[in-house]
Amino acid sequence: MAETILQFDDVTMEFDGKVVLDKINLAIHSGETYVLYGAAGSGKSVLLKLAMSLLRPTSGRIQLLGQDITKMKETELFGLRAEVGVLFQEGGLFDSLTIADNVAYPLRNQSTLRVPEAEIDGRVKESLEFVELGDTLDKFPSELSGGMRRRVGIARANVTNPKISLYDSPTAGLDPITAHTIMSLIIKQRAINKTTTVLASHRYQDGSMAANYSWDATAKDVVRAAPLGQYANLNTTFLVMDEGKIAFAGNQEQLEASRDAYVSQFVLLQPLPKPGHDQEQPHV
Amino acid sequence: MLDYLKSPVQTFQDFLFLAARSLKNVTRKPIYWKDILMQMDSIGVGSLPIVALIGAFSGLVMTLQLSRALAKYGATSQSGEVVAISIVRELGPVLTALLIAGRNASGIASELGSMKVSEQIDAMRALGTDPIQKLVVPRLVATAIMQPLLTAIADLVGLLGGLLIAVAVIGNTANQYWSSAVDALRLNDMVQGLLKPFIFAIIISLVGCFYGMRTSGGTQGVGLATTKAVVVSSVWVFVVDALITQIFVTLL
Repeated sequence: MAETILQFDDVTMEFDGKVVLDKINLAIHSGETYVLYGAAGSGKSVLLKLAMSLLRPTSGRIQLLGQDITKMKETELFGLRAEVGVLFQEGGLFDSLTIADNVAYPLRNQSTLRVPEAEIDGRVKESLEFVELGDTLDKFPSELSGGMRRRVGIARANVTNPKISLYDSPTAGLDPITAHTIMSLIIKQRAINKTTTVLASHRYQDGSMAANYSWDATAKDVVRAAPLGQYANLNTTFLVMDEGKIAFAGNQEQLEASRDAYVSQFVLLQPLPKPGHDQEQPHV
Repeated sequence: MLDYLKSPVQTFQDFLFLAARSLKNVTRKPIYWKDILMQMDSIGVGSLPIVALIGAFSGLVMTLQLSRALAKYGATSQSGEVVAISIVRELGPVLTALLIAGRNASGIASELGSMKVSEQIDAMRALGTDPIQKLVVPRLVATAIMQPLLTAIADLVGLLGGLLIAVAVIGNTANQYWSSAVDALRLNDMVQGLLKPFIFAIIISLVGCFYGMRTSGGTQGVGLATTKAVVVSSVWVFVVDALITQIFVTLL
């Protein structure tokens, strides 16, 4: 059995008396990819922030890399967070720092890493070249487009070679071509560094890419891991969140077969269930 | 009634937690010297022109206003004394504090508020930095160092403004004005005049940081946080000023 990277046990989160996550149980193992779908406000971002203890749950227990982070002090958490890469929904790049300094930030500040200054430049460059932005070192985030900022965010999230990467709506607000590039980079990172990946998204294509595409080092591009019309299911689990609860958990085939009115809304080209027509639709 | 009070009490409690953590972290490593110096430049050097200007005009107007009252009692030679006491004890610290609240509490709240809504503060925590240590402590230390200095400058410039009116309008000699002013000032006044800005600085910087770091609701939230920071810190300046003055009047 693969190592459990992240585990939620009966996790409930309330804000001002309003339940935003309701008794969530979840276990993510090494090498797995989890795709979280859900409407805005369904609890996806809160779940990701809880995963690295940026928020404290109202009740329940969260274990990250085998350690109970629920009651851990902030100073104790810093070391553990060095093992987690995160791309925030709003980017979270520091406006006042150059792109190079942004990417170097975790290397300089994560106390458990203590990366020597001489090594930092090389790692920053390597990480930025990974997202094809090696020429932006001295620029500031405001000088880059939305898609480029997202790519810098991916570089910063993964510069420490984390065991798990959390991506909060990485393609939100991007055009389809840039969104494809972002997803390709996430798949590339997952394939090359064997990073456990949790991806929150609104776009069905993102999850479908994560489940069916792998990185081809020779072609230097993502390629389908199964023939068209078949599911590759690359160790990918889909979760659909509805008002703080997990409304669906399963693989892509099961997701597309779901006839739940809410769940099926997140499946592209999936007609809404009609009375008396509950047979499976062919995969597109 | 209890429900009505719950929110402000909760807010005050949260503020006290932030204040306690920030004050505790002042001596804790790592100390971000570069950030402290940058904030000292922004808060101190940046505020100097406006503080000096307001200080000069307050001394000037004060002496003008008092000249008529003092003439009534034939005490125009004492204008230095009256101006010195009111400026050093009260006007210098309070006016400087209000300017710093308007200029810097708002600046701090909007800067941290923007960082909060763009998830930069979460990113900071995720990437191994304590935002209290990196953002709050440098602003607290810088304001606590610079505000007493700014107040001293405002006092001096205010006395010079008073000198101008005392000589040009009232007809005092410069020597008469200065000796009257210097004789009037006791150690008690100097302590009061420097203790007040030190305490105001702690309040202003912490209130600015507090409202900045609890900003929510996008750009509208940043605007709201900025307004709250200025209003709340200004009100606290007056409340704490009254308390400190009462203590000095009663005990010293």
